[in-house]
Amino acid sequence: MIFHKAKGIQIDGKKALCKKHPLVDYLNPNTVYIPLVHRNLKLEPQVKVGDLVKIGQVVAQFKTYASFITHASISGEVKSIKKVWHSSGKMVDAIEIENDHKNTLDESIKERKSVDNLSRDELIDIMKDAGLTGLGGAGFPSYIKYQTKEKIDTVIINAVECEPYITADYQFIIKFPEKLLKGATYMMRAADANEVVIAYKNYNKKIEEELNKLSDKYPHVKLSPVKDIYPAGWEKYVVEHVTGKTYKGLPAEAGVIVNNSATAIIYADAVEKGIPLISRPISITGEGINEPKTFFAPLGTKVSELIEQCGGYVEGLDPMKANYIAGGPMTGRAIFIDDLVMDDTLGAVIIRPFITWDYPECLGCGKCADVCPVYLTPTEIKKAYERKDVKLLDLLDANKCMQCGLCSYVCPSHVEISEAVGKGIDLLKKGAK
Amino acid sequence: MARFAGGKAPFLRISDQKGKSTNTIMRDFMIAMLPVILFSWYKNGISVYLDGNINFFEMLYPLFLVIMGGLLSVVMEGIFFYVTDKKNRKLDDILRKLSTSYAAIPGVILALLLPLYTPIWVLMFAAFIATIVGKMLFGGFGHNIFNPALLGYAVVGFTLSGFITDAGGVFNGTEVLIDSYGGATPLGIFANFRNTGEAFSFAALVEPYGNLWDFFIGTIPGALGETSALAILIGGVWLVARKIIKWYTPVIYVGTIFVLSWIIGAIAGDAGLWFPTYSILSGGIMFAAVFMITEPVSTPTNALGKVFFALFLGVLTVLFRFVGNLPEGVGTSLILMNIFAIPIDTYTGIIRTKVFRKPGLSYASVLIGVLLIIVAYTIIASVNMYTAFLPIINIWQVI
Repeated sequence: MIFHKAKGIQIDGKKALCKKHPLVDYLNPNTVYIPLVHRNLKLEPQVKVGDLVKIGQVVAQFKTYASFITHASISGEVKSIKKVWHSSGKMVDAIEIENDHKNTLDESIKERKSVDNLSRDELIDIMKDAGLTGLGGAGFPSYIKYQTKEKIDTVIINAVECEPYITADYQFIIKFPEKLLKGATYMMRAADANEVVIAYKNYNKKIEEELNKLSDKYPHVKLSPVKDIYPAGWEKYVVEHVTGKTYKGLPAEAGVIVNNSATAIIYADAVEKGIPLISRPISITGEGINEPKTFFAPLGTKVSELIEQCGGYVEGLDPMKANYIAGGPMTGRAIFIDDLVMDDTLGAVIIRPFITWDYPECLGCGKCADVCPVYLTPTEIKKAYERKDVKLLDLLDANKCMQCGLCSYVCPSHVEISEAVGKGIDLLKKGAK
Repeated sequence: MARFAGGKAPFLRISDQKGKSTNTIMRDFMIAMLPVILFSWYKNGISVYLDGNINFFEMLYPLFLVIMGGLLSVVMEGIFFYVTDKKNRKLDDILRKLSTSYAAIPGVILALLLPLYTPIWVLMFAAFIATIVGKMLFGGFGHNIFNPALLGYAVVGFTLSGFITDAGGVFNGTEVLIDSYGGATPLGIFANFRNTGEAFSFAALVEPYGNLWDFFIGTIPGALGETSALAILIGGVWLVARKIIKWYTPVIYVGTIFVLSWIIGAIAGDAGLWFPTYSILSGGIMFAAVFMITEPVSTPTNALGKVFFALFLGVLTVLFRFVGNLPEGVGTSLILMNIFAIPIDTYTGIIRTKVFRKPGLSYASVLIGVLLIIVAYTIIASVNMYTAFLPIINIWQVI
């Protein structure tokens, strides 16, 4: 009716592009670059130039109020520390490691015999030692979620992957369905929860099939298909869909922990084999790529190497008329130079030619306000930002914006409205200080 | 290494797809006006020609007027672009600017608002007011505060109506050349009632023009586009089906007028349903409901704002019609409400974020608003408190 609840809209997923090829292992790049930055935090390098490192060795860490470590994703020699393009759109320092192709493992990587007896604290420690972060794109260290003092009832494994183009999670699950269920089980134990639910898009019947084959062995794992809309994979939507509860800040308030499905699979390896987070799935896709594929590659791999594996760019691609997008097309970043290095938050690189036309002015149709999942009025926020009216921005709740990008997506006049809202939020934060 | 273009998320835009952009919205608006244009051509041109009262060229005149309205607006805007921008005076530049300015729409609406046989120079003046003063001086498409067509119409209606009368048409509707439709407009007769204080009667208000069905079809005197509710509704259904306008804006507007005039009719002594029906079918209410209060630029943006806008506009229209002394309650009230679109937008934007999480609350607040308006209005519209509550008192006595 009139005051309907905005529940997102269906976007042409274009996921078929990347689903033609199964997950490709690309585990031995010649060089990797481990970025010394994580979520705006600078990491301290733990190795020197010339050191020989093994797979899984801690190469950088961050230790103040929270700790976070990264590991070498290949074995070899530390060549240098130099600047590389990072998925945040900036150049950052990175440790360059040259592969010696011996694949020597660090001593810490060994199989655990008795996984059934691990206590909650031990499971959280494994998460911490593995440097496990949310692989959905936010890169939040996972163990912090599990150290919550709230009583957790449900762990939700988010396999929705609602962004168009990306199929990394999907193909990762298809390849390792059992690991997903194992990881989900360990996560449930790590949170001391009663149930674990895997949420996935309802048209992904293959996930359902694969997981149902194993349902005898893992009867406690429930499946919960969600509708094919964007942003169905948004944490709040998933929590509301699965449990019916809503919350304001963190999902823990509703007694829920949400983790990405790729994180669960990596966690299963971390618990059973002691392998830390050293590689992740990544989709290289878009209309500008010859053969879009999804890779399972070590962190720090150059994306250009992966693009070469895909047969390069399509013939006649004009780079100045194409976007090189790090992340999904709805929330990702445009990278100017195609010299990007993969890190744990990068789930996809999309090369996509775009068209331009004469954009008219905003006509005030109100479509942006209609689709907003948090009931903001983007046009008013834009006006308030243009007037630098901090008080009005606060009244309009600009900081509740989740930056899903739907307002810009539906705009018939191609107004950069979500960008304006983003600037409004920055202004509000500055003004509030 | 190659250098790629920049850009901002989201990189997917619905407007890049075919048929999802503002151009399509404006094209659909034009298509929605086609039934109205065709009907007014039929009523004012073809049917009279078939009766043998006018010659062939006079038959084409209604169509000519509408096309001239659109054409004049486009030309004027082109001249405006030429004069104001010294650097880009090539034809290509001006055409490109015109393609995102949609000048033809206010021009066509303007022509539809004017009566038949409006002199072309009056139309030209109205188009000037509409496009240059009402739109371009405010900053062009998307920045106008008033509905451009309505501003042109109002200025001409308030200042130049005498010239239209002299040219052979009485403003606001008497089409003298069309013999079968001579006489004052329904609203003109209505004004007499208001001045003399007699009770409204079906015989005096509706019967001179046939019955309410004729009002619905549109074979009554009036401006070019505003008489036929049927043609307007066809356009409205098209617009709603194409998801260009929201169905509830016209429905709330017309509904408010319906309910309020029903109350007024009851106070004036006749509680028959014919009176509110007559009330919404006469004058420009239907045309405004579908084509003017849904015009996106000069009306509120979000759903709650649209509801409040339509609600208050309905109240104002009825006030202007039954209590005020200005001609054409619809146009005057809409111009007044256009000014308030901006604050309505801001405040409903704030209310939305706080209240919309619980849709029940929004519905309740609107319902309370409606009730308050009806109660307050009943008191205002009545001569005194006693007569306002007379119907209620009567019901009590019956019980």
